[in-house]
Formats: sequence, structure tokens, C-alpha cells
Amino acid sequence: MRNSSHTKSISLCFAIIACAYSVLASSALAQGRVQVVTTTTDLRSLVEAVGGDRVEAISLVPAAMDAEEYQPKPQDLLRMKNARLLVRVGLDYDLWLDRLLARADDPDLRRGGAGYVDASFGIPVLEVRGMSVGPGDGHAHGNGNPHYWLDPKNAEIITSTILEALARRDPTNVATYEANRLAFLARLETKLSEWETKLAPLKAMPLVAYHNSWPYFARRFRLDFVGFLETKPGVPPSPSHLAGILQTMRARAVRIVVREPYQPERDIAFVAGKAGASVVTLAASVGALPQTDDFISLFERDVEALRTAASAQ
Amino acid sequence: MSEAIIFLWPAFLLSISLVGIHAYFGIQVLARKVIFVDLALAQIAALGATVAFMLGYPAQSPATYAYSLAFTLLASVLLAFTRAWATRVPQEALIGVIYVVAAAVSILLIDRAPQGAEHLKQILTGNILFAGIGELCAIVPLYAAVGLLHFLFRRQLTGFRSLGWEFLFFATFGVVVTSSVAVAGVLLVFSFLIVPAAIGVLFARSLAIQLAIGWAVGILTSAVGLAASFAFDLPTGAAMVCAFGGALALSGVLYAFLQPSRHVASQITITVACWGVAAILAGSALLLAAAPRLDQPLLDGAEYMFPSLRTIYFTPAEQAALADASEHAERFRAEAERLNDLETRRRSEGQALDDFTVARISSLLRSYGEMRNGEQFVMAELRRRARQRVRWAVSLALLALALLVAPAPWRRMWARASDTRRPA
Repeated sequence: MRNSSHTKSISLCFAIIACAYSVLASSALAQGRVQVVTTTTDLRSLVEAVGGDRVEAISLVPAAMDAEEYQPKPQDLLRMKNARLLVRVGLDYDLWLDRLLARADDPDLRRGGAGYVDASFGIPVLEVRGMSVGPGDGHAHGNGNPHYWLDPKNAEIITSTILEALARRDPTNVATYEANRLAFLARLETKLSEWETKLAPLKAMPLVAYHNSWPYFARRFRLDFVGFLETKPGVPPSPSHLAGILQTMRARAVRIVVREPYQPERDIAFVAGKAGASVVTLAASVGALPQTDDFISLFERDVEALRTAASAQ
Repeated sequence: MSEAIIFLWPAFLLSISLVGIHAYFGIQVLARKVIFVDLALAQIAALGATVAFMLGYPAQSPATYAYSLAFTLLASVLLAFTRAWATRVPQEALIGVIYVVAAAVSILLIDRAPQGAEHLKQILTGNILFAGIGELCAIVPLYAAVGLLHFLFRRQLTGFRSLGWEFLFFATFGVVVTSSVAVAGVLLVFSFLIVPAAIGVLFARSLAIQLAIGWAVGILTSAVGLAASFAFDLPTGAAMVCAFGGALALSGVLYAFLQPSRHVASQITITVACWGVAAILAGSALLLAAAPRLDQPLLDGAEYMFPSLRTIYFTPAEQAALADASEHAERFRAEAERLNDLETRRRSEGQALDDFTVARISSLLRSYGEMRNGEQFVMAELRRRARQRVRWAVSLALLALALLVAPAPWRRMWARASDTRRPA
């Protein structure tokens, strides 16, 4: 019973999506909307905030997938075929895109082209470890920590980069884009002060995270991440590292461990249990969890989750 | 420090129970020549769990476990049959196919449900460090029950009897592997399965003695691996797998020396070692002579271990420049660390840094990084030039050393050469 209804609802969903997609596609062509491809859902949401209904944005990495580990698919080439603009995270976060770009037909989308946007441009980058700068040097986060969209304030810089690129590719609608961006930033500004008030009680609460995704978030909301379970991406921690983290957690009375949806539940629960802390699952990307459909609701949900966890202590 | 031992303690108890059951299954698996069957069964179990996840059941629910088990049992039927078919095509080939197809199907399924990727990873890459007493309580009764079953039916289960017994063998093995892989990960479980069993089979003929040797070696090696992971600050699973590899290599050498022909064995070992060293020396000599500016692994290694070697071929000016560059590089590194620390602290303490200051820090960090790269380039270039200068002398010395070490019959060759030179 359960399965058949489930299958039915899934196929219904597919049918609706297919219809919606064809309608959207035809209307996009009819109205001549600007086709934009982004690597992550966060950038897609920001492009939509600036472009409004004048752009049609798709993200190559589906929501809730680890963008650093993404394997491009053949359809991604097809998605890039019609794109006028390509927006990437940069800072070695989406290195897999370089291979895809090498096979794209449109020279404008390649590095330095009119349709190529590195959204990290102008961002005050944190945690630069001073590895040699330049493409091809795949040191994990050597060029600085790439999770810069997690500071909502950085949206100002990112959207201005996007605005500039849109103005380049679609000069007739610049006024609309500018107005959209300002409206979005005004909305974000009110929300930001709301979030800051909500997270104020967490200032005195040290946190531990599984992966170092949160320095920008921590800087904006003045949070103190005192340690990370994973020292290097993909390498399991050693017993002494784990013991050190536990010692810190006890010494500083850490009560909250932050996890992202795709990180190992059992291992994190184990450490949290040992230290008497609770695990909070936060979305580091738009769509990684339910109710994180756009850039603003992403923070809305994360802030709420953190606040609930803090007040439960 | 003592905190780390608290982690390793359950891991060690778990290793003992894993060795207990896997050494036995390993001997059986070696006898049946189905070495990679554990990988195939673990992958099939993961596929079952993935299907359950796709159908909406939460991870670690009884339903998910039931799906895993059902898939494992189905695969066991298949494996029991392949034993009978495997006359023209080895059974290992079919096992390999089961493994890759199960892995590929899981990938295809997961592509439709992104969050499943983490789920699948959890089934196949358990980390023994994160195992607590809870895991132990779940696993020990299960292993004990399976062990008892195999002891009661030992005559039917060892060796090929009938399809039914063969199925029971693979089914119980599948149940064991599924739970052990979730706790310890595929790599470590494979080591538990094969290495103690292989060492036991190497040194004994009867099953009881093979098992005793396997258990002893397995427990000892686990202890060594855990201790190494603690002492050298290494990821635990990987350290243990390497310890098992080392144990097998040691046993192989020991086996050769316990044979009646141990003189031959030791002679062969010495000859191989000498030729190996000679080849490395001669290769390094040729590399230095042909391309002194390339990396010279042998010289780099020697200099790393004995930095004073540099005084032999560096001029005093070069030595001073090298020391200077290394001091500068260290200073840039320390300065960058200080800035990073400052920025991290100011996120939550004191007055927040404004965007302008943060941008300045990040551009300073980049500059320090580049300057440090520059100093490292200077150091590498100094070394290259010095090596270029002494290339011929050092290459010749290395070559001479290689000739000395090489166990060629020099005396006989020399005698023959002088014979031919002398007029008859």
C-alpha cells in the first residue's frame, strides 16, 4: 500500500516537474530570458535575486549534494550549451568545473570570458594558508576558506559581481537588475539584524563542527568554533586528535556540535555523546534541508535551529 | 593522552571479536578460493540498505536491516550456485562481477537521492575508532551464535557438501560481514579476514592450529596497529591495515627461513637486496649526471636525514644564503600563522574586525605565502646549482659504490679478463 502510493506520488511529481519544465523552457525562450548556469544552489538563488524573472538560472550541483565532491554528468555539458553566464564559487571549491569548461563550446564561458563569473571576486577571504595561487593547484583550502556565502553580508559583494556580469550580457535590463538587487539587499538587511539578535545568546557558547565550513558564518554572528572533528577532508581523525577535541569540549563546556546533512551521523553522535553535547544539523547550502529554498530561508532555518539548540541547554 | 586510550580500549575489544570470527571464515574462504567474497557481500548489503532508504525508511531502522539481510541472502543463493557452475570460469570472476554491479547500481540509485550518498558511505566505511560498547554488545552475541552454528555443523560446512550447506555458509558469512563492515570499514574487515587466516595456513595443516595461530597473530597485530595509531597520531583503520600488511610480510620472510632450504633462501634474499641497492645507487648516479636540476630522491633523502652533508658540497656563501632563506621562510610562516590566529580570535572576542581589515589580512597572508614560496624557490635553486657543480664527481662516486655493492662475480671476471690479456 505504502509503496504503491509512494510510487504514484513520485511519478506524479515527475509529471508535474516535466510539465513545469517544458512550460518554463518555452516561456524562457519566448521572452528571451538570460540563461545562467551556476555551480551551486546558493549562487543560483543569488542570481535569481538579482535577475528576477529576466533570468533562468540552474545549478549544476543538485541541492543537498557535497559540491566539493561533485562528479559532472554528460547533461551538464548540455546545460552549459545555452548558458550566457556561468557563475562559480571559486577558491578551489568547484575545481571539477575546469574540466567541464575545457569542453564547453562557448569561449565566452571560459576563464576570463565575458560570461565567466568567479563569485569570490572582491570577497575578504578568510584563512588563506598561502599555497601558491593559480589554477591547477588543488591544495584543500590553501587559497582561503571557500564557504564565503555563509556570511549573509557577503551577498552584497556577490550580487554586485553578478549584477556587473548581467549588465555586460544583457545591457537593456540593467535598471531592473539594479532595482532587484537593492530590494533584495534591503530585505536581507532587516533579516540580518533579526538573525543577529536571535544568535546573540550564542556568543558565550563555544561550538564544535565536523568540517571547517563555518568561519564566515562565525565571523558575522560572532560565534566561537573551537574545533573540528575532521582535520583534512576525507581523512578520518586519529585517536589523539579526537581526544584533544573531547578535552577542549569538556574544558570549554561545548554543548553543541554542528553537522551538515551529508556528514557521518554515527561518528558525530558518538563524539557529542561522550562530551554530553547535542548535535545540530545545519544546511550549508540552499536546499540541503527542507525549508531552505532560497538564500534568506537558508539562514532563517539555520539561525532558528541554533537558537533552539542553545535555549534547550 | 590517557583520553586516547579510552577510545582505543573498545576498539581493541572489538578487534578481538572481529579476529575471532573472521580468522575462521578467512580459512574457509581461502580454502574455497573466494578471496573477495566479503567485498561482494558487503556491497550487496549496502545496496539493500540503499533501496530501503529510497523507499523512505530511516537509516538504522529494522526495515533497513531487513532489506540488507534479504539482499545478502539472495546474493548467498547466487554464490552457492556459482560454486557449481565455476568449472570453466573461476568463481572469483563471478564474485567480482557481483561486486562491481552492486556498486554501480548503488551509484545509480543514489544519483536519484543525494542524501543517500552519506548513507551508503556509512555502511561501507565504518570507523573502528567511533565504535563503543553498544556496538560490542550487538556484535558479540551474533558472532557467538554464528560461531556455534559452524562448530555444530563443522563437518557439513567445511568443504563442499551440497547446495543447502553452501548457502548456509554464504548466508552466515554475509550476516557477519554486513555487521562488521558497518563497524570497521571494508579495508579493515578484509585484513581481519585474510591476513590471520593466511598466516595460519602458512604455518599449520590442521584447522585447530591454523585457527590458534590466526587468532594469536590477529590480536597481536591489532594491538600493534592501535598502538601505532596512538603513538604516531595516525588514522586508526589505515594504521591497522598497514600493521596487518607488515605482519604478513614478516611471516612470509619467517616462513622462508623456517624451511629446510633456508640457506638458499637467505642467499636469495641477500642477492636481491644487494642488486636492489646497486640499482638505486646506479640509477641515482645516472639521474644526477644526466639531469642534475631534477629532483634527486636519494640525495634529498640523505640530506633530510643528515643536514650536515650539505657542508661537504656547498660553498660557505651558499650555506649562508640557504640558512638565511630558511630563516626568512620560517618567519613568514610564523607571521602568517599569527595573523590567522588573530583573525580567528577576533571573530568572537573583543571588537569585531571590519571588512577592510579582514581584506588587508587576507592580502597580507597571500603576500606572505608568495614570499615564503620565493624563499623556498631560492633554497631549491641553491641546492640545484650546488649539485650541478659536483655532478660528475658525485655520480662517479655513486657508480663506484653501486659496483662495489652489486653481487656480481667480480673476482672471476677480473681473473678471466687478465687471462685473456696475458699472451699464451
